[in-house]
Amino acid sequence: MRLFASGLRKLSRRMATWVTFGLLAGLLVLIMVAVGATANAPRPSGQNGAAALTLVTFPGAYDAILSFILGLGGLFAVIYGAAIAGSEWTWGTLKNAVARGESRSRYILLSFASIALVIGIGLLLAFVVGVGAALVGANLAGVSTGGLNDGAALGRLPEQFARGWLAIVEEGALGFAIATLARSQLAGIGAGIAFYFGGTFAGIFLPDIVKYLPFSVATASVSTGTRAGGGFGGGGAQPAALDANTAIVLVVAWLIGSLVVAALFTERAEISG
Amino acid sequence: MIGGEGLALATRGLQKSYGARTALAGLDLSVPNGVVYGFLGPNGAGKTTTMRLLTGLIHRDAGSIEVLGRPFGRRDRHRLFDVGALIESPAFYPFLSGRQNLRELAASGAPVPPGRIEELLELTGLRERAGDKVAGYSLGMKQRLGIGAALLSDPKLLLLDEPSNGLDPAGIVAMRETLRRLAELGKTVFVSSHLLGEVQQMVDVVGIIAAGRLVREGPIADVLDAEGTIRVRVTPAELERATAVLGAHLGSENLTVSADDPGWISVRASSDRIAEINRTLAGAGIWAIGLESGNDLEMLFLELTRGEPVASGEGTFFGTAGAQAGIGSSKGGLS
Repeated sequence: MRLFASGLRKLSRRMATWVTFGLLAGLLVLIMVAVGATANAPRPSGQNGAAALTLVTFPGAYDAILSFILGLGGLFAVIYGAAIAGSEWTWGTLKNAVARGESRSRYILLSFASIALVIGIGLLLAFVVGVGAALVGANLAGVSTGGLNDGAALGRLPEQFARGWLAIVEEGALGFAIATLARSQLAGIGAGIAFYFGGTFAGIFLPDIVKYLPFSVATASVSTGTRAGGGFGGGGAQPAALDANTAIVLVVAWLIGSLVVAALFTERAEISG
Repeated sequence: MIGGEGLALATRGLQKSYGARTALAGLDLSVPNGVVYGFLGPNGAGKTTTMRLLTGLIHRDAGSIEVLGRPFGRRDRHRLFDVGALIESPAFYPFLSGRQNLRELAASGAPVPPGRIEELLELTGLRERAGDKVAGYSLGMKQRLGIGAALLSDPKLLLLDEPSNGLDPAGIVAMRETLRRLAELGKTVFVSSHLLGEVQQMVDVVGIIAAGRLVREGPIADVLDAEGTIRVRVTPAELERATAVLGAHLGSENLTVSADDPGWISVRASSDRIAEINRTLAGAGIWAIGLESGNDLEMLFLELTRGEPVASGEGTFFGTAGAQAGIGSSKGGLS
């Protein structure tokens, strides 16, 4: 518990935490407000703002916000996980804990547990910010916000949120494991981003294989028959995507696998520097 | 039990290689309880590798380690609860303050008593800057914080790798006094350093390694007494005769003449024999044009670490006399 609480304190004081959250929430606000502000502007013939207005029209806006958070949030989670894990090696702080007799795998796993919690809090806050921004956008566009209290949409949210959190945490774990194997913050972030976008492009040519890879299963796991999922990031909607329930099982498998790899590698690693 | 009672730290046949490079080739250390132990060796001799092995950061290829009288292996990390360490450069989270870094470090390993962090900030002279981010600390301040971090759990054994790095003269003196005080309190301080003068003033026991093996170990006073070196300079024309005279008087195995250092003869003898050597030469009609007493750690260190390590480096604490590098050998002399 001491280590978990310590992990949370460290993350809360870290610039990377606030920058990641700020980027996610900032982009969300920008899009929602921009959509609302420009929805009624004159457009060239043949174009209308109706499609864009669905982003700020409730209850569909809930799905749009989640889709954005879970899509871009996956990329951010990979980078964030890699940054936190890599810095332990780059700065040499893992060395301190090991030299004090701390269990290596316990340290790694509890560090990640604190990341998972911070990701959950970040997603929740980003969602709240997104809903606020969508309300502003709706008001700017003159769209009714009556769907805000739609019972069916609100009822779906907890499950969507839980699936989304698990998917994002899995992507964070992947970045965490890559940076641990690379023993480097920068190498971990670079490899995580390459893996993220590489998976998207590989999906064009090898959809039957790529659909089982971490980013694709994460995307598929949040597709609960609504518009949520896909859309905004790597591993976007793919024709060969798995069904959501199979995908969530694979998400958990990738999550556990990533953490086991990170813990085992750390347990056996020779720590220097 | 490899070290017997009364040893805070003991290694036997400790071996470690990195690929084809051998870092430790059978290291035998015996560190008594309650002393300041100076661990010396040239760059690449294996000091940091030893420190890493002693703190479980890396894994040994062969040999054994005992920490505070009990075996220390991969599954014995709890032994480190009684050990404090500063290995290589101090490592901290740059975005946290000094105080916060200590607080977060205290969350790992052995529990830290309440108030201990403030006590250590006071001890290391960092209280004024304890709220500042470590990113803004000088090397010396980070070093002080590193020493504070090593002391967090009030360890019985302290392992410090080059603790004087970056410290100003006042900081070095303060550190020396702190480490001496810790030893007086019954704690064992194992310290590696390149500052030989500093080590000579600070340590009770010294261990010198070269090429991954122990070449000398023992109470520093005994080691220096046994290993004193006197250097005599004569004119090149008289070098051969002077060597013969001194060889006859002191034993030729105690002499070294190096081609790199023309005119100089190195004699293994304690410094109090300098007058006797001068008199011996004068009696033979040879006038020394230079005499140096080499009874200090620096000369001993240079002599030992330029030579081959002795075959019997094992268990030399309290028994160094028979395990001395051959000063008279062609490889063992001062250059």
